[in-house]
Amino acid sequence: MSYPATTIEVFDPPMCCSTGVCGTDVDPQLSRFASDLAWLKEQGVSVRRYNMAQEPQAFMDNEQVKSAVNQTEGAALPAIVLNGRLISQGVYPTREQLTTLMQSANPAPASVSLTPANQEQGGGCCGPEGCC
Amino acid sequence: MLRSRRVLLKNSQTNGWCAKTTRTEKKIIMTWLDHTGKFYFFTGKGGVGKTSLACATAVKLADAGKRVLLVSTDPASNLAQVFGIEIGSGVPTQIKGAENLSALNIDPEAAAMAYRAKIIDPVRENMPAKVVKDMEEQLSGACTTEIAAFDEFTTLLTDDEHTRQYDHIIFDTAPTGHTLRLMKLPAAWSAFIENNKSGASCLGPLAGLEKQKERYSQAVHVLANPEQTRLVLVTRPEPAALREADRTRGELESLGIKNQWLIVNGMMPETTSSDPLAHAMRERGKNALDAMPEGLKALSTDMVELQGHNLIGIAAIRALLNPENSDHAASIDQSPPSIEEPSLSVLVEEIAQQGNGLIMVMGKGGVGKTTIAAAIAVELAARGEQVHLTTTDPAAHVEQLIDEAPENLQVDRIDPEAETKRYSEHVLASKGKDLDEQGRKVLEEDLRSPCTEEVAVFHAFSRVIRESSKKFVVVDTAPTGHTLLLLDATGSYHREVVRSLGDKSGKVTTPMMRLQDPKQTKMLLVTLPETTPVLEAAQLQDDLRRAGIEPWAWVINASLAAAGPTDPLLVQRAAAEVKQIEAVKQDYAKRIAIVPWQKDEPVGVERLSSIARQNTPETVSKTS
Repeated sequence: MSYPATTIEVFDPPMCCSTGVCGTDVDPQLSRFASDLAWLKEQGVSVRRYNMAQEPQAFMDNEQVKSAVNQTEGAALPAIVLNGRLISQGVYPTREQLTTLMQSANPAPASVSLTPANQEQGGGCCGPEGCC
Repeated sequence: MLRSRRVLLKNSQTNGWCAKTTRTEKKIIMTWLDHTGKFYFFTGKGGVGKTSLACATAVKLADAGKRVLLVSTDPASNLAQVFGIEIGSGVPTQIKGAENLSALNIDPEAAAMAYRAKIIDPVRENMPAKVVKDMEEQLSGACTTEIAAFDEFTTLLTDDEHTRQYDHIIFDTAPTGHTLRLMKLPAAWSAFIENNKSGASCLGPLAGLEKQKERYSQAVHVLANPEQTRLVLVTRPEPAALREADRTRGELESLGIKNQWLIVNGMMPETTSSDPLAHAMRERGKNALDAMPEGLKALSTDMVELQGHNLIGIAAIRALLNPENSDHAASIDQSPPSIEEPSLSVLVEEIAQQGNGLIMVMGKGGVGKTTIAAAIAVELAARGEQVHLTTTDPAAHVEQLIDEAPENLQVDRIDPEAETKRYSEHVLASKGKDLDEQGRKVLEEDLRSPCTEEVAVFHAFSRVIRESSKKFVVVDTAPTGHTLLLLDATGSYHREVVRSLGDKSGKVTTPMMRLQDPKQTKMLLVTLPETTPVLEAAQLQDDLRRAGIEPWAWVINASLAAAGPTDPLLVQRAAAEVKQIEAVKQDYAKRIAIVPWQKDEPVGVERLSSIARQNTPETVSKTS
């Protein structure tokens, strides 16, 4: 299965690097998630990752992420935005969860005419507490 | 092909004792000054006179009408002390008395602060305070600090827009270990960006790094271009300094930096006096130069003789390379001062009573930290204690000092390369064990980041600190700047642990808490009885106190005054020591020990042990 018109954006909490090798402790979850993202890319998903400690402006530019971060004092991070909709907060989803999410975002197997992610922002069912 | 042109820099008026000597006039030739390119780097072991020679070169070129920027890359810069004014970081300071000269410090802490502000300020008002605080902490680690300073360094090398107004940029670098790292980083980071595909690193999202990568590879080219960059290796006529210069030569040559010059600084001039100290000093210098490593012999070499006074203030600095204008004549008829202070044995006695603990030996480069640390360790071991002697200085040679260590004395070093390997293997084996192959590959890639070294060294340091609850651990530290960064990493690790554990943090003991505990840790500040090392140690003491660490004692090393010279030049130097020794006693130290200048190179268990015993007549008479 491939998901060519799917865009996933990951908004990471402030951290030094994406696996935590330079912090106090290495979190194997982070390596696992980084490799899951690499796997998603192989499936044709377009992946973009933002680290709060490096590109905070991206968090400001996304209204859903911004308000989730503000309401939870940061506990909403990591936040996952799929095709412009905030679909997960506070955890790194497993590969199974990611697969399910991809499938829900691509109901028709060969649908290639989805609207680009950045034009869909703000819409959808997701409140700041997360849903879907 | 040898291009060696050894030139004696005659400095008679400065030393004020030429009437008594029979030396012939020689023309001063300073061949290192004929570089027409933009960049000069002065590097070498701590205390060899890098700063003095970099400053003198800068003043000389500025006096000749060149527009010069002098830059210190040492986190413990001495430029302010030399010129007697606050030197800016970020914005150069115009030096009074040298019209065309400005100076700048690359201060890693200040650079990191500016880097943090650049990222955080635009969003500060719009994000919860807790998130902003997390960001600040994440951007306070060892690698952010290093990257911020490194960024400023590569900007100076590559940004013509920024530096067009200067004919020369002269870098006064930190002692070897720190500097080799700085010079290697452009190549290391451009390779890492090239190879890492997983998307993010400490530098930021890799997608946005094309510009940085270009800048780093440009920096590599600038360093390797002999038309642009000249590296001046400064050394003393001492085996350890020469070895370190040769190692630096080799490592930088392999980075492509081939335009290298050598200055042998501080050679004791020929003398007609009968002072055995003066002859021993000259003998030691000559022997060291005779045994100079082959690699150095091939370099163009200049010689600068030992000076009678401290090189502080623009007049003294200018006189160093313009001896004919010197008005620094000192009185010839000084009589040698007499100094009576406790010897190192008094400190060792008190340390031994504790039964275990961490002894950290700190100070400016070249003050003899390694010697003092080794002397204490050897003497503690001779008393039957279990002792571990190690060093955090990547350029130190602690093993070479001790020929045959007794069984109860472990001697090794924290080797950044070995520690990085060890840390990477450990992380892969523990954190990586449940990952699939791809996950492990991602982790491996991140571990190849140049940042990992900083982290690995910190972990090794923590391990050594922990060990001291069971035995004596004597740590010879790297020169101040490097050590401050390590302590800074220890502090931010502590805050990070406390933050992530929250209420449970009362149950853990971080390395920082051990360093702050006077029952566990004794900090010894080593200095020479000279202006700059004393000021640097005093600043280090303030820094330590700010971190909640109270230094335990000061050791004044290699004192000529305590050795009782009669040669006029040495008497002049000994007399200049008195003021510094008094300052340490009156203003800075709670405990003090003084170690006289040694006639014999202080190597080997016997000689080292005698340093920690000798000096007071009672202890000297004791048999070992």
